[in-house]
Amino acid sequence: MALLTLQGISKHYLQGELQVNALSDINLNVEEGEFAALVGPSGSGKTTLLNIIGGLDAPTQGLTQLNNTDITGLSEAELSDFRLFQLGFIFQAYNLVPVLSALENVELVMVLQGRHANERRERAEHYLQLVGLQDIMQRRPSALSGGQQQRVAVARALAAGPRLVLADEPTANLDSENATALLDIMHRLSHEEKTTFIFSTHDPRVMERAERIITLHDGKIVSDECHQRHHEPTI
Amino acid sequence: MSALHALAVFNRLPILLFMAWRNIWRNPVRSALTISALAGGLVMVILYSTLLEGMTRQMVKFATEISTGHIQVQRQAFIDDQDLYATLPWSYLQTLEQQFPNIHITPRLYSAALASAENTSTGVLIKAVDAQREAAVTQMLSHVRRGELNLAVAETLDDGLIRYNVVIGAQLAKNMNLEPGSELVLVTQAADGSIGNALYRIAAILKPLEPSFDRMGVLMSIEAYQQLMYLQDGFHELSIKLDDATSLEDVQAALDTKLKLIMTSQSLDALGGVPVVRNWRQITPAIADMLELSKTMNFIIGFIVVGLASMGMLNTMLMAIHERRHEFGVLLAVGMKRRWLLLMVLFESFFLALVSAFVGSFIGIIFAAYFEDHGIDFSASMPDGYDWAGMVFEPVMKGYLEPAHVVNACVLMIFVTLFASLIPSWRIARLKPVEVM
Repeated sequence: MALLTLQGISKHYLQGELQVNALSDINLNVEEGEFAALVGPSGSGKTTLLNIIGGLDAPTQGLTQLNNTDITGLSEAELSDFRLFQLGFIFQAYNLVPVLSALENVELVMVLQGRHANERRERAEHYLQLVGLQDIMQRRPSALSGGQQQRVAVARALAAGPRLVLADEPTANLDSENATALLDIMHRLSHEEKTTFIFSTHDPRVMERAERIITLHDGKIVSDECHQRHHEPTI
Repeated sequence: MSALHALAVFNRLPILLFMAWRNIWRNPVRSALTISALAGGLVMVILYSTLLEGMTRQMVKFATEISTGHIQVQRQAFIDDQDLYATLPWSYLQTLEQQFPNIHITPRLYSAALASAENTSTGVLIKAVDAQREAAVTQMLSHVRRGELNLAVAETLDDGLIRYNVVIGAQLAKNMNLEPGSELVLVTQAADGSIGNALYRIAAILKPLEPSFDRMGVLMSIEAYQQLMYLQDGFHELSIKLDDATSLEDVQAALDTKLKLIMTSQSLDALGGVPVVRNWRQITPAIADMLELSKTMNFIIGFIVVGLASMGMLNTMLMAIHERRHEFGVLLAVGMKRRWLLLMVLFESFFLALVSAFVGSFIGIIFAAYFEDHGIDFSASMPDGYDWAGMVFEPVMKGYLEPAHVVNACVLMIFVTLFASLIPSWRIARLKPVEVM
């Protein structure tokens, strides 16, 4: 049984009087532990598809099933819980809470989950150590570089123990060195933690490291290929 | 389920409070300006309520300490028509004094008369008091402007006639061109129907205390009154001061009961009516109404000032929320419940209001303490004070800092600002993460 199943997902919206077909009849299965990239040019529907998988947007048609749960039928409160316990998010613009330190940012989702203080502190420190930020845990986002902020975002997404991590262009704002390092961290943690990653990108460096590349064009899947990883981690 | 929700919110409270507190300091200049506006409004409200409380306390002082006393006993016909014959027997005074050792009682008698001096004459109101008892009940006799308070016999003339001292109001003295030592003739219709008249010496002139007394009041001793009016049987009014003003209603009821008992053993004539026990609020309903009005005014002014100041808070929160839409979207995306987000924003407003309350009440109390000690001095232009709504106020308008007013103003401000923050909260409630991220 696939972790994620998309059946006949379509998303249409009106732009003025014009109907835009952001996604058309998307069918996709993603197995547990996959490290998959959604690729395609701008406007191909990558972000829309990630939003629908993450329950942030509703499809016009179709079924989204994650971990045997049909999320298209969930209420807003149920979706909120679903995202809190089942999903991790990594955004293009890092999106850390500026008034919290790196450690507090990583703890935040676990606080919302209602985990015990000792447990969440241990996990937050552990994941910050895994992403190589153990020495600057108390710094606020404004005192961190873009690469460091994105690593905190990875730690935040993983520390909460999600089944699936969705990353929307995670390396778009990073230089080559930081992008490569981040991808290696994500890939390593994906394997170590048995966590499924789906990330959107049009960055060739990211595509190189993906084990599966799903190509979108004009809201349709035009190819779905499995790759062997060529590069060894750089950190 | 609701208990579980409550528990869930309770578990997340520390992080929501923590984030809210830090969030208000994200833009320190803007928060400082907002706090200044709210604190400034609070200072205004505290000062206003301090001055108003000072005025209302002066009103109560005027009502209870200058003339009226806390409680008065009169017969119904005297209340209705100033009936000269509606007196209460002197034995009533003695009985009440024995029965109520913890209250101070003074008897009074009244009459209208024609006063004549060297070149002028005018209608006056005679008020006869027992100076010693009166001093224990009211402060009327202590407000002497010129002369020396003395209601005793001034001199005994060769023909055996006695000339008494009297004290008059300031405006009457001015109108009749009288000074301490001047002579005054009073002519009136005595209780036996004859014409009562006598010559008096002005011993003192009182400061303006009560507009009616100031214009036409002549104060004399009860003995002098009895000789002028041939009215020996009793008195028109008992004025009573309580040591503990909070027991006003209880003492009033007890006096009423006691008077009814006395009446069963010593009945009164039917024409004068029954004795009526009234407290100062019933005697001077205008002052009681003004006190109520001042409370309402305090609330209305407070609401307006704090309401206006909270518009600044509303603006701050709207701007902050607009700037942080993206962040809120992210928080919603990672699983924060909408209600927790709303709670966090309400906490931010609450913290802003709380800091403003501390700052505003601290500054407000300092200013209020100054006005309590020094007041606003009008003595240069109005040395005798000012007359407003039938009451005379002291020339220095002193405030009175009532701690409850500060607490009420703070609570009002927090309530109004929280109410104002419902608008930004409503905007958050409509946020869709996918649209703002």
